[in-house]
Amino acid sequence: MNASADYKRQHLIKMANQIADNVPTREDVPAQVSQHMRQFWTPEMQQTLRDIASSTPDFLSEEVHSALRSL
Amino acid sequence: MNMVQQFDPAQVDYTKDLGTPGPQSDVKVTVLIDGMPVTVPEGTSVMRAAAMVGATIPKLCATDSLNAFGSCRLCLVEIEGRPGTPASCTTPCQEGMSVHTQTPRLDKLRKGVMELYISDHPLDCLTCPANGDCELQDMAGAVGLRDVRYGMAGENHLHKGKDESNPYFTFDASKCIVCSRCVRACSEVQGTFALTIAGRGFGSEVSPSEQQPFLESECVSCGACVQACPTATLQEKSVINLGVPSRKVKTTCAYCGVGCSFTAELRGDEVVRMVPDKQGGANAGHSCVKGRFAWGYAQHQDRVTTPMIRDSIQDEWRAVDWDEAITFAADRLKAIKRTHGVDAIGGITSSRCTNEEVYVVQKMVRAAFGTNNVDTCARVCHSPTGYGLKQTFGTSAGTQDFASVAHADMVMVIGANPTDAHPVFASRMKRRLREGADLIVIDPRSIDLVRSPHIHAEHHLQLMPGTNVAVLNAISHVVATEGLIDEAFVAERCNAASFRAWVDFIRLPENSPEQLAAVTGVDAESLRAAARAYATAGNAAIYYGLGVTEHSQGSTMVIAMANLAMATGNIGRLGVGVNPLRGQNNVQGSCDMGSFPHEFVGYRHVSDDTVRDQFSSIWGVMLREDPGMRIPNMLDSAVSGDFKGIYIQGEDIAQSDPNTQHVAEALTAMDCVIVQDLFLNETSQFAHVFLPGTSFLEKDGTFTNAERRINRVRPVMTSRTGLSEWEATCALSEAMGYPMPYDSAAQIMDEIAALTPTFAGVSFDLLDRLGSVQWPCNEQAPTGTPIMHKDGFVRGEGQFMTTPYVPTDERSTRKFPLLLTTGRILSQYNVGAQTRRTDNVVWHAEDVLDIHEADAEARGIGDGDWVEITSRAGQTRMRVRISDDIPAGVVYTTFHHPVSGTNVITTDNSDWATNCPEYKVTAVEIRPSSEQRA
Repeated sequence: MNASADYKRQHLIKMANQIADNVPTREDVPAQVSQHMRQFWTPEMQQTLRDIASSTPDFLSEEVHSALRSL
Repeated sequence: MNMVQQFDPAQVDYTKDLGTPGPQSDVKVTVLIDGMPVTVPEGTSVMRAAAMVGATIPKLCATDSLNAFGSCRLCLVEIEGRPGTPASCTTPCQEGMSVHTQTPRLDKLRKGVMELYISDHPLDCLTCPANGDCELQDMAGAVGLRDVRYGMAGENHLHKGKDESNPYFTFDASKCIVCSRCVRACSEVQGTFALTIAGRGFGSEVSPSEQQPFLESECVSCGACVQACPTATLQEKSVINLGVPSRKVKTTCAYCGVGCSFTAELRGDEVVRMVPDKQGGANAGHSCVKGRFAWGYAQHQDRVTTPMIRDSIQDEWRAVDWDEAITFAADRLKAIKRTHGVDAIGGITSSRCTNEEVYVVQKMVRAAFGTNNVDTCARVCHSPTGYGLKQTFGTSAGTQDFASVAHADMVMVIGANPTDAHPVFASRMKRRLREGADLIVIDPRSIDLVRSPHIHAEHHLQLMPGTNVAVLNAISHVVATEGLIDEAFVAERCNAASFRAWVDFIRLPENSPEQLAAVTGVDAESLRAAARAYATAGNAAIYYGLGVTEHSQGSTMVIAMANLAMATGNIGRLGVGVNPLRGQNNVQGSCDMGSFPHEFVGYRHVSDDTVRDQFSSIWGVMLREDPGMRIPNMLDSAVSGDFKGIYIQGEDIAQSDPNTQHVAEALTAMDCVIVQDLFLNETSQFAHVFLPGTSFLEKDGTFTNAERRINRVRPVMTSRTGLSEWEATCALSEAMGYPMPYDSAAQIMDEIAALTPTFAGVSFDLLDRLGSVQWPCNEQAPTGTPIMHKDGFVRGEGQFMTTPYVPTDERSTRKFPLLLTTGRILSQYNVGAQTRRTDNVVWHAEDVLDIHEADAEARGIGDGDWVEITSRAGQTRMRVRISDDIPAGVVYTTFHHPVSGTNVITTDNSDWATNCPEYKVTAVEIRPSSEQRA
């Protein structure tokens, strides 16, 4: 993977983890994260995050992994 | 005297100067003015009542923007049953009073007064710049003055010199009649108190600060004094140079989100001056230095008025006609679509442009480009406002009109500096504060409001950058644990389950002021006192700015403020609310107009089948149901090679967006960058097509200000480019295969109204009749909605949400021990593209870095030294100013000059919900620099 594509992936990883850390109501965080991604993320961004979850699962929090399963 | 036959309140011309302000009173009194009965609110002056029936009484020291003063002695009247000849400006109407405004006795007295004035005034009317626009001249005529018995040889002030230090106006003391209108305008209207009358008796004279030249005084050049002056003493230099205006056009300022109404006064096609409109809903006749004076950029020699293209960004620009430029741009975008797909292109709308211009850009992207990759520069300022207020209240907008602040008992200003960034609203706010409202300022900096003439913030919570949410949580903790919740409001108006969850959260010890003090830097007792003051004030209003939104928890902070306002019942009436102070003139409008990649016009999600079908039907094209990319996502995709073409309307992302190197890399990677702007800016260095934009003086359309007020922008002069901006956009759309055949901007607004429930009643015709309206404007609210959520929240029940404090990743370390925060100053505006091309540079020729004395001393830095500023993102250089406005550990600068490279050092951290950049927190280190610019 080239450095530029890595930059984009790093941003998505950061965004996803940040959403999971910050969604305001802390009940069922994964559901809120997936709802947020459905509402604001392009399908391509969602797919890239799925790829990241498969290839480098440690980069994403458990809440993000759970969110992706219901996305 | 132009006397009406019968008084009809509806016929009063409020655009005329009625002499004294109109009091607010439900009690009415009826008086006889020269035999004509007139019924007016109790407290109305005799002068105003007379003016309302057309019996204009001569006056000099009175004007209806200022409280009555009673000094000129020209407005004398006779009142039956009362001795003497009282001044009509200071005499209130009383029931049954019978007033005579013209009698032989009054004529003689007035003529005598005028004789004295004229005996000490230059008789140079024919060559005076105010000839034909001078109240002294008018009054001499009104009283029939034909000669001056005393001659002109007595002691006088005719030898007094001119102060020409201010770039925009002169002060000619020889023409001054010491009516104090300028002094009172500075105090009452502007609230700066820069002017006074020095000396006594014959030696009395207007004095800026301590008899300094205007430019060196505390004067903020708002021009209120110039407007108030009844002679040519304070006179616009443009009038002196060009002459008295001969025609007028009403329009709206294009600087900040206050959205002041102005009358552009012209000679032919040349603007002579801008006069704030007394009837303007946002500004009520006031202005700031930018709106009134800094419009010269529209005719600046740097303006590009011809389209330009080039094959690569290494090539020179080639001026072409519109057809060639549009064809070139369309061919490039179509080629990208063919090769890389529809999602490889997109657009950015501008908050400087009209609603109609923004609407057609987002429509072009969605309908002609075939993607939802459209975003707006609000992304980098108030996107968290839209998110947070929609989640809690149901509407992505502030709750009040500006006038509401006059009813506030407590004003809480968070992360905003209104006297610099929203000065006309600040004047309204300061007036209320002088009347006795309490003030809480939550800001790392000691902004002007913390201590200024007759204003002192009872509570200044000087928090560390990045800890807003912790401070608001602590305030709400005090409210929730000390029995300060408005239980009745919450029970009636808010969602019970969400409230219970919020109370359980906010009462946790981790949210107490004591536990958070170490994080926020705010002493617990000070915070508790502020919380109690807010909750018990009566009417408490929150006003906030980019110091709230431009954080990694910007959206959380907006939600936290909404929670606090709901918990204390401070929503839904005058004097309360949660009020964003929007940065640019049309931030609210650009958001309303469907500029976000997930929403159509009116904040309706693109995945909503019913809404999408409605748009598809009227636009005649199938529309995408999936959200598009935001600006940072577009830039990331460009760097990775997936995003190839962009249309940028009036935004300089290479200067204004964070992490400049990344923005530059992204723009360089694209095959087609189209910039539509007034000037070749930083972004245009990476552009292949430059489409010349129009200044606000050439636009026809509407702006929507921070209070949801839709104002008309009328063309003052003909377009310098040959096309309106919306016409250029429509031409590109047509060349892309999707015609948008509008005949006028009014027709575009009609389409917006047809598609948007909150705009359903809006039309240019309505705006021309009413002046302005605040949305929602529809069948339920045909003249608009000044106060939102009066009888219930737009979303139904107010929604509380828990707001855990999550520290930003951007933290100070040994390597980067200081926190940089950024802001604006009064004389400059955003990236400075406009204001740097005016005489406003006299006040701010360069960005400087404010640093606390202790931090400077520890680094061996002196005031005025050049320093190197290094962050994790980059490095730049600036000159420093040692300041006690900021605490140790924090440094501050502005970003008005591209050479400063402020955004070279800001990082790409952003708000978790909206990706609004975290401009307000950047960890840096400062070192002395032997060099100047990088």
